[in-house]
Amino acid sequence: MSQSAVATKKIEALESRPEPKELRRAPAKVHVTIDGVELAVAPGTSILNAARQLGIQIPTLCHQPNERPAGVCRMCSVEAGEKTLSASCCKPVEEGMVIKTNTEKVQQSRRVLLELLLSEHASPCVRQQRSGDCELEVLAQQEGVLASRFNAPAIPRGMDLSSAAIAVDHSACILCDRCIRACNEVRHNNVLGRKGKGYLAGIAFDLDDPMGDSSCISCGECMVSCPTGALTNKKVIPTDLPDGQPADVRFLKGLPYFQGISSTFLELNRNAVILRRVRAGDTICREGEYGSTAFLLLEGEAEMFLSSHGRHSNEKPDKKKSESLLNLKKLTSWLNPDRSHLEPAPLRIGQPMAFDIVKLEPGDLFGETSCVNHYPRSQTVRAVSDCVMLEILRNVLDMMLQRNGEVRKVLDLNYRKRALCAQLRNSAVFSRVSDEFLDSLKDTVGLLRTQKGEAVFLQGAASDSFYVIRSGFVKITQQRNDGEMVMAYLGPQQHFGLDGQDSRPVTATALDHADLIRIDNDGFHELIARFQEDREKVDLTPDPWRRPVPARPATKIDVPLQKFVNQGLMQANSVLILNLEKCTRCDACVRACADAHDGVTRLVREGLRFDKYLVATSCRQCRDPLCMVGCPVGSIRRQNSMEIKIEDWCIGCGLCASNCPYGNIHMNPVSVVDDDERIFPLARPTVTQKATACDLCSGLAEPSCVYACPHDAAERVDAVKFFGITPGAFSATAK
Amino acid sequence: MAATVTACALSIAAYIVYTKASSSPPSGGSVLGLTLGIAGYGLMLFSAMLGLRKKFPVRRFGRASTWMRGHLWLGWLSFPLLVLHSGFAAKGRLTSWLMALLIITVGSGLLGAIVQHYLPKLMARVVPMETIYEEIPRVREQLEREADALMASLPGVGRRDFAWGARPAQSGQIAEAEIDSEVVDHLREVYVDTIRPFLSDPETVKNACSDHDRSASLFSSLRLYAPSTAHKILSGLESICEEERQLKRQRQLYRCLHGWLLVHVPLSLALILLGAIHAVVALGY
Repeated sequence: MSQSAVATKKIEALESRPEPKELRRAPAKVHVTIDGVELAVAPGTSILNAARQLGIQIPTLCHQPNERPAGVCRMCSVEAGEKTLSASCCKPVEEGMVIKTNTEKVQQSRRVLLELLLSEHASPCVRQQRSGDCELEVLAQQEGVLASRFNAPAIPRGMDLSSAAIAVDHSACILCDRCIRACNEVRHNNVLGRKGKGYLAGIAFDLDDPMGDSSCISCGECMVSCPTGALTNKKVIPTDLPDGQPADVRFLKGLPYFQGISSTFLELNRNAVILRRVRAGDTICREGEYGSTAFLLLEGEAEMFLSSHGRHSNEKPDKKKSESLLNLKKLTSWLNPDRSHLEPAPLRIGQPMAFDIVKLEPGDLFGETSCVNHYPRSQTVRAVSDCVMLEILRNVLDMMLQRNGEVRKVLDLNYRKRALCAQLRNSAVFSRVSDEFLDSLKDTVGLLRTQKGEAVFLQGAASDSFYVIRSGFVKITQQRNDGEMVMAYLGPQQHFGLDGQDSRPVTATALDHADLIRIDNDGFHELIARFQEDREKVDLTPDPWRRPVPARPATKIDVPLQKFVNQGLMQANSVLILNLEKCTRCDACVRACADAHDGVTRLVREGLRFDKYLVATSCRQCRDPLCMVGCPVGSIRRQNSMEIKIEDWCIGCGLCASNCPYGNIHMNPVSVVDDDERIFPLARPTVTQKATACDLCSGLAEPSCVYACPHDAAERVDAVKFFGITPGAFSATAK
Repeated sequence: MAATVTACALSIAAYIVYTKASSSPPSGGSVLGLTLGIAGYGLMLFSAMLGLRKKFPVRRFGRASTWMRGHLWLGWLSFPLLVLHSGFAAKGRLTSWLMALLIITVGSGLLGAIVQHYLPKLMARVVPMETIYEEIPRVREQLEREADALMASLPGVGRRDFAWGARPAQSGQIAEAEIDSEVVDHLREVYVDTIRPFLSDPETVKNACSDHDRSASLFSSLRLYAPSTAHKILSGLESICEEERQLKRQRQLYRCLHGWLLVHVPLSLALILLGAIHAVVALGY
């Protein structure tokens, strides 16, 4: 059986399993009939999405799941009981609506639309020629529209080859606006817009400037969103993943995991998915290492296990190698005393208690949790036999999650299979229950991912469930007469929502991207009734913050907790602290940083003060680095250690800098002239800016800022440990 | 520190033993004197290497703090060694100059060490609004603009007193009905005559705003005179004046923190140069 067949089978198996229960309180349903099948869906659901729930595929061109529906192309038109056809992507379902998606009238309309679009589309376009997946031409073939009865416009719309990265073929553009929405709404770059009318209508960059002269930063989102060959890549991002060869785009398109991803994107990021061969016995990824890649096993077998209990790698590459001028060990040890004990200890999140070995077969995806959540890898994976696998960089995995709903299901299934039980057992509630209880429970829980600032539940809402935090932090607040009171800050493994009341007495809000396990009260109590012996073992005492409030644990210095949390310091793995009572303001740290990074400093000796300590403006290597979210080329990442690195293939789009809430990423002008004509056959681009952030002087034993401080005033520390904030402090009352 | 004290004690002991044995103090040219001189000069050279070390902050020659400790303790050790080398006497003009330079250099270094030990603590305490030293002029400009914008929020001031080109603050614009024109005139007068000159030249000591207590009493009296609608503006101006005073204090402390280097560094270089000349002259002739 081929690997794609195996993967298809796995996805089919996923589809057949029952959907998890609704994660939120289910509102009243709307009942509709689509092609004779009755269905109840949430109010506000579009006809298109409702049809998809039934497995009915309505063709679309201008619609993308990650963009606001626009209803531009009308390809998805259906009969919804009105005089005219309705665009199913925009039209929400209404109670009692009877929808017909494939009547003769609908088909006729679709064919005419295709002919009209084809008449203005230079067929076959570049994309169709390259990879055969121009969405318009493929759809036309499927509908049997081989030629258009309409004349092509007399005036050619021309091409724009001014950009170094993207070729614009206006004659292939079908004015679906996907690129415009991608630029303005997905990336917020606001470069693309519409121009002209009638035959002269088209897309325009800024005030109709040539793309190369516009403010476009070449993030590639427009190109990735384009359904045709109107926007295609001229170059390949020089991603540099070691130990493998770039995978062929056509091969990837044949794999179920890569369905729905445009080949232009895969072509642009050709080096971000590599084919790796691993020999039997080799370690593929190691527990405790940070990683920005996921793996898809194509051939062979591997096993996943806990290699050690309680030990995590925090090694930096080439530590202390060839750094000393002299090889006199004693002298160098005097000059370079071992300060490894001062390095922040690695974070251990979700330490699983079980020691099961999980067998991995062709079609299995692994390493994805670390890739998505940025936490250290929780298990080691070793090849049992010779293996062939794809190593996938985060930006491609993000795209897979965004465009292919099945991949998200696979991720959730993997989590349920491999780590959920261990994670539940680590929480105080379930630490003593039997394995059978957890096995039964894991199929009933919901997995929830919240965005920063998103409310998990509101005060006064029905109390129908409780939550265990997988990763991230949650703030518990209560609205009182005198304003909002922060009751607790909760971190991984802690639980909340065990109110023992009908309505929520508090509001729970995610402080960052928090992954939660939601346990439904009804299902939970059913289980308790089934497993009588576990009744006593489940710890159902109220949430920690609801117990009598103890005196706030003393911290080393007077740290206002609210300020600490607002600054996101609980996320900081390695924050640069300057002791202002020792610092002589000589700026040796700043000069050392600049010296270590081509004259551009990555730290600013200003920031928030806690007593005598200044939290300098420099990357803190967050546990959940928001800066990594959405990098279009995956150039900001962690490799095998804690440092966040911005790789050389950064395209300078500035997304990471705007994502960082603490202003620790700077955009610096650089002049890069790439003269590799194989990669840039049409132009020699000059990248005008690149992102820079502290990488803890990766490769050196100690960050240069700390090493160069003559007064021992600079230190890199774990903020929570340094300021003596115990987990209890997060649960103590704070305002 | 222990090594420095031990080395110092051993040198003194050797000196005493030598003096007892030879019934006369050792001269610079004696074996012990020469040894002490070479050791002292070597330590001086090592201390001077700190400056060179700072030129290459990234190179792993040893932590800068280790070098600094070495600079302090070994630099200090060079002083007793060189004094012993001299036999407590400076014969000749060059050696007199050398001794004077040594004393001033070590003294300035000691002063610097004391200053750099205590002033950061003081600065951290008295300048909570500290900024980067090089940014102070820009911060001051910003404060001036903020103060102008606050004043432009008063009715009538924007029209008549835009000499400094201020725009009224976005929020907090006070309507004409809310404040008497006489009050506005008085506030403007105080601003133009007292507050603005202080913001333009904070180093002046005659200005009422340059002192915390006098400034507090000035703003208290203004608050009594002005209606409550103008209190927000006055509080804003007061905090701007406070920040200016802190920046002024920061400047003063910063100059003390680093000013002694203007003496210490050139004298150290001169000492090393003259020391080398002294060695050549003494050994050659």
